[in-house]
Amino acid sequence: MTVALRLGSLALAVCAAMLLGLFVGGSALPAASVAWTLLHPHASGDVATIVWQLRAPRVCIAALVGAALAVSGFLLQGMLRNPLVDPFLTGISSGAALATALAIAAGLAIPFVPALGFGAGLLTALAVAFLARRGSGLDAERLILAGISLSALFSAFVALALTRVGRASSSTILAWLAGSIAGRGWNDLFWAAPYAIVGFGLALAVVPALNAMRLGDDVARAVGLDVVRANWMILSAATLLTAAAVALAGTIGFVGLIVPHLARRMLGTDGRKALLASALLGAALVPLADAASRTLWAPAEIPLGVLLAIIGVPTFLYLYLRPASATRMWGT
Amino acid sequence: MGHVALHGVRVAAGTRTLFENISFEIAPAEFVAIVGPNGAGKTTLLRTIAGFIRPLAGEVTIDGAPVHRLSARERALGVTLLGSESELPYGTSVRDVVATGRFAHRDWWEWGERESDGRIVGDALRHVDLAECADRPFETLSSGERQRARIALALAQEASLVLVDEPTSHLDPRFAHEILSLLRTLAEGPRSVVAVLHDLSQAAAADRVLIVADGELLADGPPRDALDPSILERAYHIAFSRFEQDGVLTVVPRGPLVPGRSDDARIAGGSAQRMDVAGEDPARTATVRTGHDANTDRILGAGLVPGVGDAGLAGDDDGRRTGPR
Repeated sequence: MTVALRLGSLALAVCAAMLLGLFVGGSALPAASVAWTLLHPHASGDVATIVWQLRAPRVCIAALVGAALAVSGFLLQGMLRNPLVDPFLTGISSGAALATALAIAAGLAIPFVPALGFGAGLLTALAVAFLARRGSGLDAERLILAGISLSALFSAFVALALTRVGRASSSTILAWLAGSIAGRGWNDLFWAAPYAIVGFGLALAVVPALNAMRLGDDVARAVGLDVVRANWMILSAATLLTAAAVALAGTIGFVGLIVPHLARRMLGTDGRKALLASALLGAALVPLADAASRTLWAPAEIPLGVLLAIIGVPTFLYLYLRPASATRMWGT
Repeated sequence: MGHVALHGVRVAAGTRTLFENISFEIAPAEFVAIVGPNGAGKTTLLRTIAGFIRPLAGEVTIDGAPVHRLSARERALGVTLLGSESELPYGTSVRDVVATGRFAHRDWWEWGERESDGRIVGDALRHVDLAECADRPFETLSSGERQRARIALALAQEASLVLVDEPTSHLDPRFAHEILSLLRTLAEGPRSVVAVLHDLSQAAAADRVLIVADGELLADGPPRDALDPSILERAYHIAFSRFEQDGVLTVVPRGPLVPGRSDDARIAGGSAQRMDVAGEDPARTATVRTGHDANTDRILGAGLVPGVGDAGLAGDDDGRRTGPR
């Protein structure tokens, strides 16, 4: 299959997953009326409200979160040349989790919580970058060490908060930690999307740099890349994307770690193709998983992050660890 | 194009000063070898010339422009550095690896390759004889082929100065010879090549040899002058022998320096001559002889290989005493 065909099928998969997300959900609506509502956007009624105010924003948020996490993971794995890196390495999710836990424990109004989490996540990422700097550049190993250490510290504080708050608050915190886009609407999307868009823009700009960095920083430097600047750009892009995703959906693991692997497997290590493939694959996978999380246990919802881990991790292990597989973690 | 000069360069690694005041120039189309003991700062010197490290004093200029004032991209059009190792990007084709060399020739917003890029990458692959492997994953190449691919990368970059750090390490003699010949072909036109080498006989194939040790440039000149055993002894603190046959200069370590006994190696025009030991120390000579199988002894003894016998013996003797080089 040619590259264009593969990317085209991935784009189709995104559309299919998003459409599916509109048709299924907690309340069983007849497919015909959902279709009718989709074709008549200005109609009113219960079905229109459910489709346009509940499901549509959710599906869009799911696609955005999936693409953002996948691209963020792709960028960081490429920058650090480490296939085990995920977007939360920068400490964003742990910082956001701590802020969220504290805010909920303090009884802060729920609408402010995502904004607070976003701010705390960005601050943590800055702290990690500050700890990881060496000279004017970023040191890959220090970044990993700083990210893991701060995450561990913040997780401990979150656990402490969980033991100190009441039952109601702790279940809200746990729901956030498990990752979910239940109850998110257009407002949340419009609020977080600008950060994601800037992140995607930066990601596109650093693709040639990522390609040059495949052979190591020294080769990249020798062929004319300003490695220091490229590292800061990549870290900024990854941070913005992850922060937007965390503000929208809490902690959703697996996507940022595994989707880039699948994308490289499908289209090779060339950043131009692999980045697009990561974005599309993430944007297809998360709406699909979200649709499943709403229907499998309806009317209850399985947390999205939990579901993705339950389905994704065994798939990933099967793909990479089966004895017959000659494939490697890094690349095709 | 391709004229590089170091003026009074001072370089340090951490708190240790490697070079206090080093100056030399490299002219276009020159093939220069840098040799010196481990830890002398050869790699740091290359990285300084490449503009990766800014000297504490003095400056490195390429065609008159100080390297550290150039942007990364401008610098890469003038000079490139092939390190002794690079990452293995699993699943990346040889062609993509070589195409990395075109990075500086594109603007940052250009995602695609220019038409000229494809042609230049193709030419580079052909030059190193890897055109047939273009679509293979880089990691499936042998060490020698990988080194050739990396040289193709430098070729595709079209920089006028190619710096190479230990290009023949981990390679068997045949591949090492191949890589050196390839580097030789690169040092043409406006392009010059500077290689850090450990094998002194390989360095002897360069146009010019620089010997660095103890923060100093001990020698700078044609191999015949620079690779003088007395200079090498100062650099490495062991004794050396050198031979020349059919215009090929061979320098081998001989063993620990013996105080009061200066090196007795001499070059005898054209034919190899044993420089050392055998005549002085019968016991040692005997050991050497018993080390050979009977057949070799017979051939050497009968002089069937003119001019080789003694040199071969001396070489073996060295190998025995100093371990594999």
